[in-house]
Amino acid sequence: MSVAAHGDTAAAVANYIFPNDLHVHWSLMIVLYPYITGIVAGAFIVSSLYHVFHIKELKPISRFSLLFALAFLICATWPLLNHLGHPERAMSMMLTPNPTSAMAGFGYIYSAYMIVLLLEILFLYRPTVVALKEQASGFMRTVYGILSVGSDNVSEKALKLDHKIISFLAAIGIPMACVLHGYVGFIFGGIKANPLWATPLMPLIFLLSACVSGIAGIILAYTLIMKFTGQPLDVNCIRTCVKFLWGFFILDFVFEMLELFSHFYMATHHWHTLETLYSGPLYVSFWVLQVGVFSVIPFFVLMALSLINWNDKVIAFFAPLVSVMILCQVLLMRWNVVVGGQLMSKSERGATTFHPQWLEKEGILPAIIIMVAPLVILWILGKVLPFWQKDDPAAQQVG
Amino acid sequence: MDKEYKSHYYSHVVRIAFFLVIGGVLAVVARGLFLPDTMGQYGHYRGSNIEEQKNVEVRNHTNESCYECHRPIRLIHKAGVHQTVSCEFCHGPYADHIQDGKYVEKLPVKRDMEIKALCLRCHNKVIRARPEDSIKMVAMPQHLEEKKVQTDHNCNQCHMVHDPLLWIKAAREMMGLPMKEDKK
Repeated sequence: MSVAAHGDTAAAVANYIFPNDLHVHWSLMIVLYPYITGIVAGAFIVSSLYHVFHIKELKPISRFSLLFALAFLICATWPLLNHLGHPERAMSMMLTPNPTSAMAGFGYIYSAYMIVLLLEILFLYRPTVVALKEQASGFMRTVYGILSVGSDNVSEKALKLDHKIISFLAAIGIPMACVLHGYVGFIFGGIKANPLWATPLMPLIFLLSACVSGIAGIILAYTLIMKFTGQPLDVNCIRTCVKFLWGFFILDFVFEMLELFSHFYMATHHWHTLETLYSGPLYVSFWVLQVGVFSVIPFFVLMALSLINWNDKVIAFFAPLVSVMILCQVLLMRWNVVVGGQLMSKSERGATTFHPQWLEKEGILPAIIIMVAPLVILWILGKVLPFWQKDDPAAQQVG
Repeated sequence: MDKEYKSHYYSHVVRIAFFLVIGGVLAVVARGLFLPDTMGQYGHYRGSNIEEQKNVEVRNHTNESCYECHRPIRLIHKAGVHQTVSCEFCHGPYADHIQDGKYVEKLPVKRDMEIKALCLRCHNKVIRARPEDSIKMVAMPQHLEEKKVQTDHNCNQCHMVHDPLLWIKAAREMMGLPMKEDKK
């Protein structure tokens, strides 16, 4: 008889594992949570590049990226609510703010960012909404009435005031987006009991990978929507996005590797565990997939796309392709950090395994539903607020 | 030529600011309404929760509670190497058996293959976190082969579960074999 037939202890468990380390508690949902907030922060940065830093080439996607960020921000709490259970208790966090708990800070950080994002969208779309209200009737007229806050004034003076407010909101939005996602990194970076997580570089790495995934998400969504609705693609805009994507990805990848290298070089007593983790359970998902396939290849593809003057067709084909790879890279990075950190025992002498199931509460199917939900919300948002300038009655009136 | 508008150029800003203030006021009011009265009484938690915790039914007891009735087992269990193992660890919680000092239900007793699974919960060599010098770790069926018994034997065919070495020692004494030195 085999060993396994004599007891239900998982034979895959290696070496010394404490009983309370056997089960991976922070499951797929906690992989998705930083992934989604990262996409939000990244998409907001894209919009800010136009609104604050006046990168004119990004104008076509500057409003779309805000709605994209909003759609994902609405769903950012879903994995947490599903993971923790008892979603009705979520509000207690707001009622009884705890200044000494990093995790309890999420409610306020999230809400503050949500308010800034909503206000920016409200001000940005006001002329559009006012024009749409004139054309609409019935229920949609009421919706546009609410969105325009009951004002029909789109005079130069009013728009000038709006512009000032938008610039202000976009400007405070950047540090807030950075705080939102840097904070998510801090949640992991501040856990000193886990040598894979406990590094001050963690917020920085999370933030950079957030920018990367947000830009990649925008490129992919923009090219796909344009392709499937048969609209012309603004390739100059894609070119600029690709350059920013490459720039952020250089920093992101370098810091990911630097973090690993500093662990390796300092070779503290934790390195022994980390080494066995990286060469054991994480070998395929980290070295082969995250680093090998989805970092090195996109790195060179992005470099080639940025440095060589390709024709439009090449850019339109490779930009979304490399964006998919980058999105995979960031998802793998979240997986390797969140799940990887829990695969090693606090005994620092053994590792456990994690295989998500399809139908369990925090399984693969709920994860897919949570990732599809923002796209459905985005589609609904698109029905109310036009993504593109050419569908905007206000823009047509002006020019 | 400037178009005539019904609203002032700043009216939407004033309204949004007004709604934000209203939202803030509502949040403060809601906090007053929904915040539990005893929140913060002793610390950053609901004070009345202490009373609730005090009233949580005690389901687990110590071995002494069991020994009050199970006298013979007490003598065996306290003499053997399993003396520190809680009765409830194998038999289940006290509250399933006795409530308000009265017998309610028989606790399940593990038999046959269940016994093997129960023992291996602690003694399985696969769980390598356990130091060998504090608890005997065995690999099955290797242990049975080493002891030259059939590999379908159950643990309790050789080991008295309450004092695992009781019969082993008795057998060695009968056979005149030397006793192994007790591990610390």
